[in-house]
Amino acid sequence: MFLHNFKYELLSGMRVKEVVIWLIIFPIALGTCFKVAFSSVYENTMVFETINVAVVEDTDEFSAQMFRKVIGDVKMEDEPMFKAKYTTKEKALKLLEDDKVSAVIFEGDPFEGSGFKMTTASNGLRATIVQSFLDQYSHNAELLLTAVSDSGSGSYEDIMSTLSAEVNSVAKKQMTHGNTDMYVQYFYNLLAMVALYGSLSGLHIAIGGQANLSALGARRNVSPTPKLIQITASLCATFVQEALCTVIAVTYTRFVLGIDYGDRLGFVYLAAFIGGCLGVSLGFMVGSIGRMGMAAKNAICNAVSLGLCFFSGLMDGGMKAKVELSAPWFNRVNPAALISDSVYCLNVYEDMSRYWEKIVSMIVITVILTLLGFVMTRRRRYASL
Amino acid sequence: METVVKISGLVKSYKELTAVNDLDLEIKEGEVFGLLGPNGSGKSTTINCLLSLLDFDKGDIEIFGKKMTPTAYDIKKDIGVIMQNVAVFEELTVYENIDYFCGLYVTDKAARKQYVDDAIKFSGLEEFVKFRPKKLSGGLLRRLNIACGIAHKPKLIILDEPTVAVDPQSRNKILEGIIELNKNGATVIYTSHYMEEVEQICSRIAIIDKGRKIAEGTKEELKKMVKNTETISILACEMEESLLGEINALPHVLESSYEDKKLVVHFSGGKHNLLRVLDCLQKHDVSFGRVYSELPTLNDVFLELTGTALRDSEG
Repeated sequence: MFLHNFKYELLSGMRVKEVVIWLIIFPIALGTCFKVAFSSVYENTMVFETINVAVVEDTDEFSAQMFRKVIGDVKMEDEPMFKAKYTTKEKALKLLEDDKVSAVIFEGDPFEGSGFKMTTASNGLRATIVQSFLDQYSHNAELLLTAVSDSGSGSYEDIMSTLSAEVNSVAKKQMTHGNTDMYVQYFYNLLAMVALYGSLSGLHIAIGGQANLSALGARRNVSPTPKLIQITASLCATFVQEALCTVIAVTYTRFVLGIDYGDRLGFVYLAAFIGGCLGVSLGFMVGSIGRMGMAAKNAICNAVSLGLCFFSGLMDGGMKAKVELSAPWFNRVNPAALISDSVYCLNVYEDMSRYWEKIVSMIVITVILTLLGFVMTRRRRYASL
Repeated sequence: METVVKISGLVKSYKELTAVNDLDLEIKEGEVFGLLGPNGSGKSTTINCLLSLLDFDKGDIEIFGKKMTPTAYDIKKDIGVIMQNVAVFEELTVYENIDYFCGLYVTDKAARKQYVDDAIKFSGLEEFVKFRPKKLSGGLLRRLNIACGIAHKPKLIILDEPTVAVDPQSRNKILEGIIELNKNGATVIYTSHYMEEVEQICSRIAIIDKGRKIAEGTKEELKKMVKNTETISILACEMEESLLGEINALPHVLESSYEDKKLVVHFSGGKHNLLRVLDCLQKHDVSFGRVYSELPTLNDVFLELTGTALRDSEG
């Protein structure tokens, strides 16, 4: 029963014109346009420049002085890494808004156990450098504290020896696994868009399963195959279909357009696939709400998908950072932001924990949306048809 | 004969509107049962309640002697449903559509293949198995819709207005098919607002109007319910109006009228009514043209029971 449903759902799903257009042809076309539009810009932006940052000090004088000293001393390619402006929170945010600084650093005191916080106007190499610097600074401060407390009555030489060993090992770590250029983010968002257009397929599942929304739904409801089996088979088939579409999108952008997703391509595929499942569940949930027709729900799904992609930066690379400033929670739940962030984290951070954090978030949201869809479609009798 | 469907005291309301009002029906095995009524009379609502698609306010529904519920899968496997709207996958071919829907009922692959082949043959779609629904004409699409509903060889087949917007040739093919399905042992419930179709294929008929059953029986039994058993119309009739009195005095005449040289006489019972009218006209040297004698239709039954013609109330 399940396999029979699965087979035909997959077969019909792959033949839906909208799926072919929106999930295969459109991303390929848009990706190609991005490549053509950004390739010349990309080549001109690879020279390192000192990063302007605003620092909001909120610690004791000792910690502030330590931080000022370090931030003033660090260099890259004989250039100062940062040009810091010390100011109030309001002024710092204004500077960020006016694009006069690349990031605002809210000082914490690692010696007192409070961490640094950072706000940026956009993701990209500069933001990554600032974040990595802050991570490194906090890490070293913690090491120093640990070394002091562990050494007890140990000598100064012992402490410094432990610390430098740790610092050296950290310094050898590779900072990135791929291309951190901001233009690549458009491709991350393109993958997010492909994933979210899976909502169209999810919508078909919801509408085709409900007697009050389609004749097909009515016919299926009067059959002896339980609704749960039919919908589960449909969802599984659509997940497979979505996987194929995301594989096509990632493969095309990576191997035809030559976009550098780093050396962990398998995880890029995984992130895109999980994102696709999220898109399907989003459409399934939207399709299960109310009694609107297919056309109206299609329009809603398209609008929601595009809206989420817009807020994650598909149309404006700086949008996500703007959202981070005004409604940071939205970036934690926006599926498009999660998808693009997961690929971004993968390429930027050596540590995989951020990547897995995004993946787990996407899985949790997928499960929640799917369950909501199930609850809404489980109704067996309708008040009207 | 065993009772296949039993509906008792069914009431279904949509807010202020009572769509089905205290409906009782009993359908026996082997019948072709017609549910006749104008659009909006409650036929489809009754069918949807019967299939447990719709919630209803009151009443009991039993199919094959068991209470019908949305999870009564053992009952559902023996029911075939052909809805008013075509319900097929646009992206699947004719064969795939029939196989898909048959597979919702029949798990054995070998048996299913045979069932699908039989359904294709039955519906005359042999030449179109690889076509997608979009490529089919309206009539062929309806046939596909029917094939999807009956491929699993159900014991009870419910057809909800399957011939709406179908050309006469396809309509006849569909009606012949329904008779054949019945001959093969299926009990059929057929809803329509086309009285000719219902008269043609149904062994028993329930007429419903505004959610109420107003009459039930065989077509002969229903026609006996009307006083007007024969209507004689005589065209191009050159007669004096004063002759109407003499015609009205003939045996079994209910009433008569004469307008625009057309004489219409209604009878209630009696035999040789036409001869008596023609004798009367000849006796007075009245010349006339064409003569028609019509027996009552289900429309007359509906008209007499509700005060409106079936066709007048559509829509």
